[in-house]
Amino acid sequence: MTAEPAVTAAPGPKQTDGLVGWLQSTDHKRIGILTLGTAFVMFLFDGLLGLAMRAQLARPGQHILSAQQYNQVFTMHGTGMIGLAITPFALGLGVYLIPLQVGAPRIAAPRLTLLGYWCYVLGAVTLVWAFLTPDGAAAGWWGYTPLSSSIYSPGPGMSLWVAGVFLAACGMILQGATVLWTILRLRAPGVTMLRMPVFAWTMVVTCLMTLASFPSLLTAMGVITATRIDPGLLASNAWNMAYENLFWFYGHPVVYVMFFPFVGCVAEVLAVFSGRRFFNYKGTAFSLLAFAALSMAVWGHHLFISGQQVNDYFSLTSILLTIPAGMEYFGLLGTLAGGRLRYPAAMLFALAFIPQFLIGGLSGIMLGTPSVDYAVNNSYFVVAHFHYTLFAGSVFGFFAGVYFWWPKATGFLLNERAGRLHFVLMVIGANVTYLPMFFLGLKGMPRWVVSYPGGAGFSALSLISSIGAGVIGLAMMVFLYNIYISARQKKPATADPWGGYSLEWLTSSPPPRFNYNAQFPVPRVRSFTPTLDLRERQRERQRVTLSPRAGRPVTDTVTADTRAYRDER
Amino acid sequence: MPFRHVFGQVFPLESVIAAIVFGLVLAAMAAAVIVSWRKRRRGTPAARREHLRLLEAAYGLALAGIAAFLVVVSFSANAGDFPRQDPAPTMRVQVTAFQWCWRFHYAGQPVTVTGSCAGGDYPVLVLPAGLPVEIDLTSADVVHAFWVPYLDYKMDAFPGHVDRFTVTLPRPGRWIGRCAQMCGLYHYEMDFYLQVVPQAQFSRWLHARAGAAAVSGR
Repeated sequence: MTAEPAVTAAPGPKQTDGLVGWLQSTDHKRIGILTLGTAFVMFLFDGLLGLAMRAQLARPGQHILSAQQYNQVFTMHGTGMIGLAITPFALGLGVYLIPLQVGAPRIAAPRLTLLGYWCYVLGAVTLVWAFLTPDGAAAGWWGYTPLSSSIYSPGPGMSLWVAGVFLAACGMILQGATVLWTILRLRAPGVTMLRMPVFAWTMVVTCLMTLASFPSLLTAMGVITATRIDPGLLASNAWNMAYENLFWFYGHPVVYVMFFPFVGCVAEVLAVFSGRRFFNYKGTAFSLLAFAALSMAVWGHHLFISGQQVNDYFSLTSILLTIPAGMEYFGLLGTLAGGRLRYPAAMLFALAFIPQFLIGGLSGIMLGTPSVDYAVNNSYFVVAHFHYTLFAGSVFGFFAGVYFWWPKATGFLLNERAGRLHFVLMVIGANVTYLPMFFLGLKGMPRWVVSYPGGAGFSALSLISSIGAGVIGLAMMVFLYNIYISARQKKPATADPWGGYSLEWLTSSPPPRFNYNAQFPVPRVRSFTPTLDLRERQRERQRVTLSPRAGRPVTDTVTADTRAYRDER
Repeated sequence: MPFRHVFGQVFPLESVIAAIVFGLVLAAMAAAVIVSWRKRRRGTPAARREHLRLLEAAYGLALAGIAAFLVVVSFSANAGDFPRQDPAPTMRVQVTAFQWCWRFHYAGQPVTVTGSCAGGDYPVLVLPAGLPVEIDLTSADVVHAFWVPYLDYKMDAFPGHVDRFTVTLPRPGRWIGRCAQMCGLYHYEMDFYLQVVPQAQFSRWLHARAGAAAVSGR
């Protein structure tokens, strides 16, 4: 076993605690926890706005929110969930986990990562400010021109919205860049690209897409800025189409930025709790790359109804996504098949992710057909579709990751009973909320409406959906309660409470300042499951010493398998 | 009016395929849970295979086949929506969306229908049954979208740009139409009605409106 010399040599500057200590820390674990924590606060805030909308829509013709307030609320809900909650969940997980998973003592360019966090926080503050101004931003999270120009959104809210989106996107670009840099340049000896955990591979493609697509959002914000200075530009159709294309060139890849890391969580959790290595690892890694490349060429399917887009081309690329997505599902299901499953809360969330995300994915493929898109786009069908991908999919994957890595990050375990209750309420809440929305859309209910007439046939389904939203709210309260009682009980976590496979389970919980040291060295990495390899070698050694026929070749099947496996590497 | 017809063919087909895929995935998960339960009872360890090359290849081919099939379905549906030989429109209606209502101008006639959309004052787009009508869609301010759920079709209305499409409505009826693009404060009540009447009745209506317009000096 060889420890990386850099790890033990430099003790590094002392870390100070307290808020100031945290806010200036260059420890990727602290930056990661700050990012995830801030994003969780934003997640709860934007979730409350979601509940406010469901309250308003529970019955026809209600006046809980005015039209202006409602428009502000869904603008903040969409912008916040995407830009301030789920994207930072995705990259924050990478900031925390990637250096640990590739055996690095630190993240590459930690000050840049920290700057990314600050940009993100400033963006979040600016966006909440944009929301709270009396004439707040109310043009939806797409911010389409000319509605977002100074003629139709004259107040300061819209200007603040542009600044906030810009800042938050800058923060995510910086964090994505340093995570990718860490993966490419700071892997410990022996950790080749194809010996990284599946989660690390999902972060590779996530960061690639962040770097390739987020600058387009910055440019789009530049377009809005230009039209807020000179709204006369928008007399030309070209500016509006430029904005829409620039926006969706970011807006579609970001969907996968908010998806891949959580598939990575699910993959890690499924493998560990199925008791077997991830199935079709290489195929999954390559299909992730193919998926990322292809996903840069599908943005036009958001513009089928603009009448100014190449329908067939974007239908082709969108439907072709079926192939890499299907290969990833093959890996997930293949890992389950033949496994000996355990069912802690993390595994339950991972298992529910599979069918629930599938509903979002399959309805997404339907939307890739222009003839279907014409009928259901901008209706509640689409709202149902992307909430199945983002909430019933990504957020479930995120919670699988939270329950899985919480003990690693904090040193104590989350309560499993509360975790199971949280899970059950989440499944009920998610499906009761979002399933009726498919039918609302097919019945002709449009998005972005503050109320609907009683005779339109939307009332019963809307009420069911609102009840489901209440259950989601309850589930989140159970999760907060879980954190509270777990922090009080402080049931200590060992280095490896689950029997994990990747490197981070070899270091202490929580890990030392530079992740690995003389006490917790980085072992020789020979596969994408180094911790499992180590455990199996130890078990084999024990078997050999315990065997009465010690010294002779051992023919026990498990050991022979292990050896065959090891020789393959 | 090919959109409703095409949607009626494509959507059920894709729904059935999606339901089958969903069922297969659920079945695979259920099988894994049962197998795992039996393994635990018998004390057999988890399987160790990490690859099944032949299955992977077969599965990849099957996926490619399904994708190819869906692409063909999508292309032919799109071609069906926009037939190369669109029936020559017998009349044109210029539809202008504005914050927050609609204006329908019958081209070549002094007839314009509009409303305020507030408090149920929804304008009615009257069209003759059985005749191909070209809709010239544009906007006076921000991006709106013309959506008649019954038609299973919607199209964005852009300022400074005209989107054209042809509809033929075979039978009389009255359907709700809506704005389907976030367009500001009163987006939620930017509705209209599409009313299709027999051709003779349409001609009478058009003449009456034209006459009324002449009298009022418009």
